[in-house]
Amino acid sequence: MATIQPLREETMIINMGPQHPSTHGVLRLVLELDGEYVVSCRPVLGYLHTGIEKNTEYRTWQQGVTFVTRADYLSPFFNELGYCLAVERLLGIEAPPRAQVIRVMTNELTRIASHLLWLATTGLELGAISIMLYAWREREVILRIFEMITGLRMNHAYIRVGGVVMDLPEGASEQVRDFLDVMPGRLHEYEELLTGNPIWRQRTEGVGHVPGDELVALGVTGPMLRAAGIDWDLRKQLPYCGYETYDFDVPLRTAGDCFARYEVRIEEIRQSLRIVEQCLDRLEPGPVMVEDPKLRWPAELSVGPDGIGNSERYVRHIMEESMEALINHFKIVTQGFQVPAGEVYQAVESPRGELGYYVVSNGGNRPYRMHIRGPSFVNLQATPRMVEGGLVADVVASVASIDPVMGDADR
Amino acid sequence: MIVLGFFLTAPMGIGYMEHKVLAHMQHRLGPMEAGGFHGWAQLVADGVKFIQKEDIIPKAADSWVFTLAPAVVMVPYIAIFAVIPFGRTLWAENLDIGIFYVLAITAISVIGILMAGWASANKFSLIGALRAAAQLIAYELPLILASVAVVMQAGTLSLVGISEAQHHYWYIFTQPVGFFIFIVASLAELTRPPFDMPIADSEIIFGAYTEYTGLKFAFFLLAEYGGIVAFSAIASVLFLGGYQGIPVIGHLIPGFFWMSGKVGALAFFIIWLRATYPRLREDQLQRFAWVALIPLALADIMVTGVVKVLVK
Amino acid sequence: MSVQEITFVIIAVIGGVSAVRMVTSRNVVHAALYLVVTLAMVGAVYLVVAAEFLAWVQVLIYVGAIVVLLLFSLMLTKAPIGRDTLDNQQRGLAALVGMGVLAGLAFLIQDSFGGSKPITLHQATTEQVGVTLFRGFVWPFEVVSVLLLAALVGAVVIARKDDPAGSRRGPDRRAPLRRGSEATRR
Repeated sequence: MATIQPLREETMIINMGPQHPSTHGVLRLVLELDGEYVVSCRPVLGYLHTGIEKNTEYRTWQQGVTFVTRADYLSPFFNELGYCLAVERLLGIEAPPRAQVIRVMTNELTRIASHLLWLATTGLELGAISIMLYAWREREVILRIFEMITGLRMNHAYIRVGGVVMDLPEGASEQVRDFLDVMPGRLHEYEELLTGNPIWRQRTEGVGHVPGDELVALGVTGPMLRAAGIDWDLRKQLPYCGYETYDFDVPLRTAGDCFARYEVRIEEIRQSLRIVEQCLDRLEPGPVMVEDPKLRWPAELSVGPDGIGNSERYVRHIMEESMEALINHFKIVTQGFQVPAGEVYQAVESPRGELGYYVVSNGGNRPYRMHIRGPSFVNLQATPRMVEGGLVADVVASVASIDPVMGDADR
Repeated sequence: MIVLGFFLTAPMGIGYMEHKVLAHMQHRLGPMEAGGFHGWAQLVADGVKFIQKEDIIPKAADSWVFTLAPAVVMVPYIAIFAVIPFGRTLWAENLDIGIFYVLAITAISVIGILMAGWASANKFSLIGALRAAAQLIAYELPLILASVAVVMQAGTLSLVGISEAQHHYWYIFTQPVGFFIFIVASLAELTRPPFDMPIADSEIIFGAYTEYTGLKFAFFLLAEYGGIVAFSAIASVLFLGGYQGIPVIGHLIPGFFWMSGKVGALAFFIIWLRATYPRLREDQLQRFAWVALIPLALADIMVTGVVKVLVK
Repeated sequence: MSVQEITFVIIAVIGGVSAVRMVTSRNVVHAALYLVVTLAMVGAVYLVVAAEFLAWVQVLIYVGAIVVLLLFSLMLTKAPIGRDTLDNQQRGLAALVGMGVLAGLAFLIQDSFGGSKPITLHQATTEQVGVTLFRGFVWPFEVVSVLLLAALVGAVVIARKDDPAGSRRGPDRRAPLRRGSEATRR
């Protein structure tokens, strides 16, 4: 009787993805299952590779923005900011104060939108279908604000090297303020629906647990790391855009499971709301782009009813009044500017973790090499560690708690 | 014929109700176009759409098992309607052992789900079918045990008899625990949220129904909504007095409307749960059945028995 | 022939054919499905002889539970999906056992009912079944329940793993981190 053979020796291999409802686009997980238990898991990436990094080598420095904004398509402003800060460091310039405030504000609004989308999809994946629509509703408000400011709902290319491409339109800060009034109540609603919900807790507590030291070893950053009790937020540790002057807390939890990640993200939405409020108070009139005519984008853009357009005054100026202005416009738009040779690594705290831009210049008008450290890519490394030994249903919860964006992972 | 007609129309009512109730709970409008007034004809349009769709049988599938499965799932639910009393004289068949018949018949549909999952030749379908079978076996017990307590109190197995026995008071007041167990177990039997792991769309695509299209898929949907009606009706008969109205004004409204109202209210409750709760995990579901519901149901039977003997 | 007899013949033919198909089918899941039909037809025979309660017990227990468990375990142990076949080489032995059972049952039935007059049918109500079961056969009933309980406990003992913690999940009881087995490395 000492050696009873296990009843089931055979395992089943299933491909979860790349076409699967809950693999966030085109993540593919090769799962080896013993009944409902996961024996091993191997993530397969690369289905959304778009060649963004290589493409920027063939475009001017300013044009690079329109590429990187498409990498992590759920938090475009962070990509733009990371790239622009890196190039600005190479140039040795700094955006004017108003631009800095607008950058912080749009970034924090993006963080809220991104976390809301995370909440929506995670809820849907765990079967809580109502939270999906609630979170979507609030995200829609943010996207409307973005559309008003930049003319686009995503892939804005709004933050440019040297500042932002155009000033806030009239009424934008009022809309943001309206949103700030509404959002805390809505957050409370979400928490009423989920935080105390016994099934929600059962599905997330103790699921996908990884201790903090292993997360550090795997290079994981962002809310996942903070949910395991490690205080690492680049806005505090390596501040940029004047984050050190804003008053906000970094939410921490120690459990390191999916529920802790949920709590951290909800709390981060609250903190982002605080930052946005401070931004609104700090908005002083002033330029939004550096004054240097050899760097600044030569246009007066604004969002009209039919999209972004140049002002008539500016067009008349270059077409009729000033030959020099036309030459300048032509030079900057077609050739761009040159960046001193050198290399730089600049990281920003995206909703998913450390989003780093490594940029090398050889002194030309295009990047010599550009590399993105996508937090989704690095965080996905923790997937097998989280799901092996668990159930199939926990795979969904765990992957959702990473909040991967495949555009960010595959680039 | 009447039974069949009812089976084909009532689920559509519930389906439309689900569309609208869920939509309004989620801050949406739901269907608004089809038929003009608040999209009342949406389900008709859906039916037409299902009929027009291509009927695909996967190459690797076991074609006749695959084809037969939707019927095996659906027929038991039609058969249930034969014994449900919608009024003191409004029933198709008054079986001596009505409730027992209902419980026996519902057990058959599991085989249909297993057939569907296995014949599809799809791993996700197979996992879904296995989940469904494990779940339905686990929850059939509490379902039966909860009904047993009611049967003991009423002293009859006939559904008409049970309704008649609740002339003075509804059994929900004497059997609240049984009612709770019955509703939870019904949800699990119907694989409705929060017990919808067999079709958990975010994990295993659509479980046993993944490979189905067109009319066959529509049969599964019809069975699901028919099941909601059926189980709501059974729960109404067992615990809410069936066609019996509330004492004073009960006789003013015909029993049929009482019964329909109760079925509608329970169906609303089932839809409401879908809007509120996430999905349980497979092991949690099994633990809940074996550790919580079944002992609770057994205790309920014991208490009912003791009280019954004492009262006598 | 009365209506009843005609019905019986139809049911018997369907049940018999299914039974034969069950043992000749090369696909193990098809065999199980034929078993469903056979068992359902047995239930139908009970209905024909007006043993209503027994008929639905047959459906509930055999069709609803036992065959489902059978199918469940077949599929869990990877019954070939789709059209693949499965067969074993024990035909002679199986035929022998089948014949033995048939002979035994035939002898028993002949022995008990062979000489007697045709039994007149009367509708047995559930009440009568209950009274008979709990008055006349209460001891066998209790003995059977103890037997089932013992079987249940035995099943639990066998199914239980040596390490009971292994089946339960928790952050500290996880399976060790593996680099993927042979199968996924391919």
